[in-house]
Amino acid sequence: MSANANAVTRQRVDGATIVCLQGEVDLSWSQQVRRAVLDAFADGVPVGVDLAGVGYIDSSGIAALVEGLQLGRARGQRFALVAPSDAVRAVLELARLDRVFTIVDSAAAVGAAT
Amino acid sequence: MNSPQPERIATAVVEPRRRDTGALVFLADLSRSLAVSLDLRQTLTQAITRVRDFLEVEGIALFLLDPASQVLECQVSAGPIDVTGMRLAVGQGIVGQALAQDATQIVADAGSDARVWRGSDEASGFVTRSLVCAPLRTAAGPIGVIEIVNRRDGAPFTAADAELLELVAAPAALAINNARMAGELLEQQRLKRELDLARHLQKSLLPRRRRDGFPVLGVNRPAHEMSGDFYDYFELTDGSIGFLIGDISGKGLDAALLMMRAASLLRWIGKERLAPAAWLARANEELCDSAREGRFVCAVVGYCDRAARHVRFASAGFPPVLVHSGGQYRQYLADGPPLGIVREAQFTEHALALDGGTLYAFSDGATDVRGSDGKPIGMAGLLALIQRHAQATPKARLRSLLGELRRLHLVDDTTFLLIEAAQVERPQLLFSDRMPARADAMRGLRTQLRAAFDREALEPRLRDELVLAVDEACTNVIRHGYGPACEGPLEVRATRCAAMLTLEIIDEAPAIDPATFKPGTLGECRCGGLGIALIDRIMDDWHIEPAETGRGNRLVLRKHIEAWASEEAEES
Repeated sequence: MSANANAVTRQRVDGATIVCLQGEVDLSWSQQVRRAVLDAFADGVPVGVDLAGVGYIDSSGIAALVEGLQLGRARGQRFALVAPSDAVRAVLELARLDRVFTIVDSAAAVGAAT
Repeated sequence: MNSPQPERIATAVVEPRRRDTGALVFLADLSRSLAVSLDLRQTLTQAITRVRDFLEVEGIALFLLDPASQVLECQVSAGPIDVTGMRLAVGQGIVGQALAQDATQIVADAGSDARVWRGSDEASGFVTRSLVCAPLRTAAGPIGVIEIVNRRDGAPFTAADAELLELVAAPAALAINNARMAGELLEQQRLKRELDLARHLQKSLLPRRRRDGFPVLGVNRPAHEMSGDFYDYFELTDGSIGFLIGDISGKGLDAALLMMRAASLLRWIGKERLAPAAWLARANEELCDSAREGRFVCAVVGYCDRAARHVRFASAGFPPVLVHSGGQYRQYLADGPPLGIVREAQFTEHALALDGGTLYAFSDGATDVRGSDGKPIGMAGLLALIQRHAQATPKARLRSLLGELRRLHLVDDTTFLLIEAAQVERPQLLFSDRMPARADAMRGLRTQLRAAFDREALEPRLRDELVLAVDEACTNVIRHGYGPACEGPLEVRATRCAAMLTLEIIDEAPAIDPATFKPGTLGECRCGGLGIALIDRIMDDWHIEPAETGRGNRLVLRKHIEAWASEEAEES
């Protein structure tokens, strides 16, 4: 498991806002993650959450992603998960949410996702 | 078949007299019949008769090389003289030379060629005028020779005849080689089946593990398919327990078979309740009668009471018996020779009080294990290992010992017998920690838990799920148990009992009504509900109860671990 420090960054890639998460998403940090995901919708463009660098996620982190999904639907903005790590995929599968989210391989695909 | 191309090839290799017979059609048909043949010998007999007529020769013979004796033997023949069964050395005659040189031999005029072996003609009265021998080639070298003798039109053989014979030889070689390989494969499979059966039979001789407070425990790890080690224990009518452990010199199937004989012999003598020294002496006489040359048996035999207070034993050439009692380790060296070597050998009995201590007997595989420096760890290395695990229950101790030895390099069969007063099987503590119920303590907890599960060799995916379950349970306490303002302690424990993993999360928060603590539907994805749903999915069962201290809650998560169950089954 990564000992990486938790970090959240935001950037524009091909007309989409990408929130890039690094580290372990648990209760100590999930409120900030939630805020960052919801704030990303302010630009009015598709939103992606890059999870390639996330070594651990618990239900509080998953809940933040679910909120993003719901907000995207309410506002008519696309919302996708980008390249989730194996650890994240395992928890999504366990929560039976792996087919609820749109999952893409790269940030560039978020703006193009249909 | 009537396309012009085959005709062109046939023209190139065949003389005018055979042009019209369609050499390629004949060869294709021959190859096919050889390839699909189920009974190669019969097919070959028919095939060479057809080849003889096709080539318009008087005689034809097919020789195969016996790889072991390096003799060529005629397998099938067709012609005026039956040469089936004729044997030639490699290099003998034209047939032998074709094989030795792996090259086609043409003899235009046999009467004037000194290489021709005349033994056959002299015996039969047949006159060999001209002959061609072509090797049967495979990737691994020639496996035989095909020979044609005397053209029917009386002309000497030419290079074109030789080329045609080579074309016939190719599919014949392929078919014979395939048939041989298929035969070898069948033989290998048969041997493997028999070996599997022998291994199962051998394993079935080992006693089943007793769980009802029995003081004797054994394990055996064969280094190869068959083991030369054995152990056994049995109850006598007076309530005492007989035990034995042994090791056959040498390896392989005959050692394994002797092991079966020695094991049953020692068991039956032991049931007669002879004193340990007499027990060994009797077995020695029997084995001197029957053990094959160079094979012998090292063994320790003895008795103990069910409470393992007293033990008496005798040793025949076996590695030292180790007794750990009152903080001291003592070694008891063998005082008799191995069994099956000298008649009327004498053995000495040791009788001692175990007093809550432990007796270890082990085959030399345990000390011959190679350490990181490549040298055997020896008695000192084994003692250090035993010492390291001395606190564990006997079963867990043997498991850890074997595990450590296996991580080093097992070079020989390894067998342990352990005698110690049985205790009630108590759970093995895998992890225990106490921390403040704060979100920022979770990362450290997860790291430690992963390490604890890794020590138990849990598969990574399962390990991560279990860590998630504990994290979700703790998070629940942090969010809902203590509430946002006040903090309290959190205790996490992981224990193993047989194949059951129990995870406990204990808090000092106000008591929770268990009825309110249930998984939410995943569809609605309430945060707290999702965490409990994950726990529900990961664990076999869980419940919440008031903590034993009377203050707080104890959440108990349980899961049956498949890998541990098969480990247990393997040990029993």
